[in-house]
Amino acid sequence: MVNHEAHEAAADERVMFGFWVYLMTDLLLFSVLFASYSVLHGNTVGGPTGRDLFTLPLALQETILLLTSSFTCGLGLLAARSNKKWQTLICFGITFILGALFLSLEMKEFTEFIHSGQTLQTNAFLSSFFVLVGTHGLHITSGLLWMGVTMGYILKRGLNKALVRKLALLSLFWHFLDIVWIFIFTIVYLGAFA
Amino acid sequence: MSTPAPHGMSEQKTLTSYVVGFLLSLSFTLMPYYLVVTHRVAGTSLLITILTFAMVQLLVQVIFFLHLGRGASSQANIYFFVGTFVAMLVVVVGSIVIISNLHSNMTSLDQTKRIIDSEGIYQVSGELTGACRGHYPNHRVTIENGKVTPLLTIATKCDTLTFIDNDIVNVAITFGPHIHHTSYAGLDILSVPKAHTKTITLSQTGTFLFHDHTRPEVKGSFAVVDAN
Repeated sequence: MVNHEAHEAAADERVMFGFWVYLMTDLLLFSVLFASYSVLHGNTVGGPTGRDLFTLPLALQETILLLTSSFTCGLGLLAARSNKKWQTLICFGITFILGALFLSLEMKEFTEFIHSGQTLQTNAFLSSFFVLVGTHGLHITSGLLWMGVTMGYILKRGLNKALVRKLALLSLFWHFLDIVWIFIFTIVYLGAFA
Repeated sequence: MSTPAPHGMSEQKTLTSYVVGFLLSLSFTLMPYYLVVTHRVAGTSLLITILTFAMVQLLVQVIFFLHLGRGASSQANIYFFVGTFVAMLVVVVGSIVIISNLHSNMTSLDQTKRIIDSEGIYQVSGELTGACRGHYPNHRVTIENGKVTPLLTIATKCDTLTFIDNDIVNVAITFGPHIHHTSYAGLDILSVPKAHTKTITLSQTGTFLFHDHTRPEVKGSFAVVDAN
């Protein structure tokens, strides 16, 4: 029995490490997008710059939403580890709502830009902006999908070891996305006004 | 690492770490925001300050949210993280340094114009560069029903020549005899869509043959002489 548990813990660590490796390669993907943004952000071909386009309060709202969701995600994992089903569901439910709110704000910003004629094709600055922020948004979307499916499983089958492991990976992913956003907030949004 | 390992920390400790991490992250978000909005600091020092805040917040989240450094396989994870981070810095900082270096070493537009003038490069691929500046007479060549009028145009250097395609097909003007084409003033081919015109600057002196590449029998010539 003890042997079995030790075996399980080792398997947990292996899965965690594998997921960590994935996250690090994802980080490299983002670093390339950050590099291209840093290089191209001035190339507006006479069009509006980041300073003219971005609204800082909106970016701050997005940041706080995502940060809070990262926090509630951690609380949810804590509840899952203590085998509290409803507390887990509530925490991840809040995380899901905050994440969806974040995504809707981002979509709102994107549609406003596109309606005012500032699209992916306008200039190099906007291309790199849309690709960088859009890639992060896609990650958030897939995270939300994953969260929804996992919550559905918990609701149906209750908490078990495999689901707790899934939640641990999910929260790792979610924290990671918040960390990437810190740099988008700092470099893209705050940087435009610095 | 791994988010609160079941055999790692107590529940209370993990909860505390989340709360502390959240509050620290919140303040490290609001402080640079405040600095940017109020413009207390400006320019490069502001950029460095907000980037430092981001780095500190990164550390805070890695320690308090990701709990990197706790658990059995943490050592490998930390090495991997540090390695990736170094690769990331190389990519980002390297790109910025290389491109800004390239940018500052690029010839400015004024300088380019000066070089073009002093080297006597009148046109590049049929485009005026500035050496033939000013107003010069224009000559026209019309292509209609497979006929070129006039067959010979005589012009002075720097004059312009307009090809008018009144045909029902697109015309591709090439220079020299058919098959073994030459180019005129760096221009190899001049595409004139049907019912359109194209103008070139006659910056190269001499006598030149031209024809439609798809119909070699549609041909003519022009002679360009020096002004004096």
